[in-house]
Amino acid sequence: MAFEYLPIMAQNSAPKPPRVLVKPSKFAWCAVTKPLFQSRVALLTSAALRVESQPPFVPREDLSYRRVPSDPAIGPIVIDHHSGIGAVPKQDPEIVFPRTALASLLSRGLLGSLSPRHFSFMGGVRKPEQVEKELAPALAYELTQAEVDLALLVPY
Amino acid sequence: MIEALGIPTLVIGTAYDIMSKVVPPRAAFVDHPVGRTFGPPHDRERNVAVLAKALTEVAQFTQPGMIRDLGCDWSSDGSRSWEQELRAEMLREH
Repeated sequence: MAFEYLPIMAQNSAPKPPRVLVKPSKFAWCAVTKPLFQSRVALLTSAALRVESQPPFVPREDLSYRRVPSDPAIGPIVIDHHSGIGAVPKQDPEIVFPRTALASLLSRGLLGSLSPRHFSFMGGVRKPEQVEKELAPALAYELTQAEVDLALLVPY
Repeated sequence: MIEALGIPTLVIGTAYDIMSKVVPPRAAFVDHPVGRTFGPPHDRERNVAVLAKALTEVAQFTQPGMIRDLGCDWSSDGSRSWEQELRAEMLREH
């Protein structure tokens, strides 16, 4: 049986009410039409991470995002998210943001190409309407501009 | 939002209970502690293995809202002792 996170999140929220999980107001589904070896892939992470030279995220309600180069040689990566589980991923952000693994799979021919930039934002903000009306459309636009065929979202 | 613009998405996550409530269009479940989705620190081989499993699963989604289990265990012996440590970590460091 999978580990249950919601009871712990509720306990951590106290005395505030438990965090409300929000579904998108409109459900969308787009069929996968391209094989992986022809697809351009991008990563999205809610870890509020960035290249060290980029401006820091400001916990906890920051609605900005960062364009993170997909070249793993460009770094180092810093995680700004306030979550208590950050001690381990801060030792090695690749375990939540696998830029190097993605580049490795590209070199093996599994993927067509990588988006030149991946994207990072702050997970767990308590402003779902602004996320849906501002942040999500901005990220979606970025992905279309980068001509991405498949977006991988890694929750933090 | 992203799918509405014609870009398929895949969520790769460790929290089955959260994914089952949020219902992403496609979700791949990795049975690892949160914050270690692609393995322990500095284990590039495992990072690649988990990511490759997730990517090859993309074609298997036949309808919206499916969560597919990648069959990734955190411990090589199947032990779930990490759960107790993670629970303490999450409660201690909040």
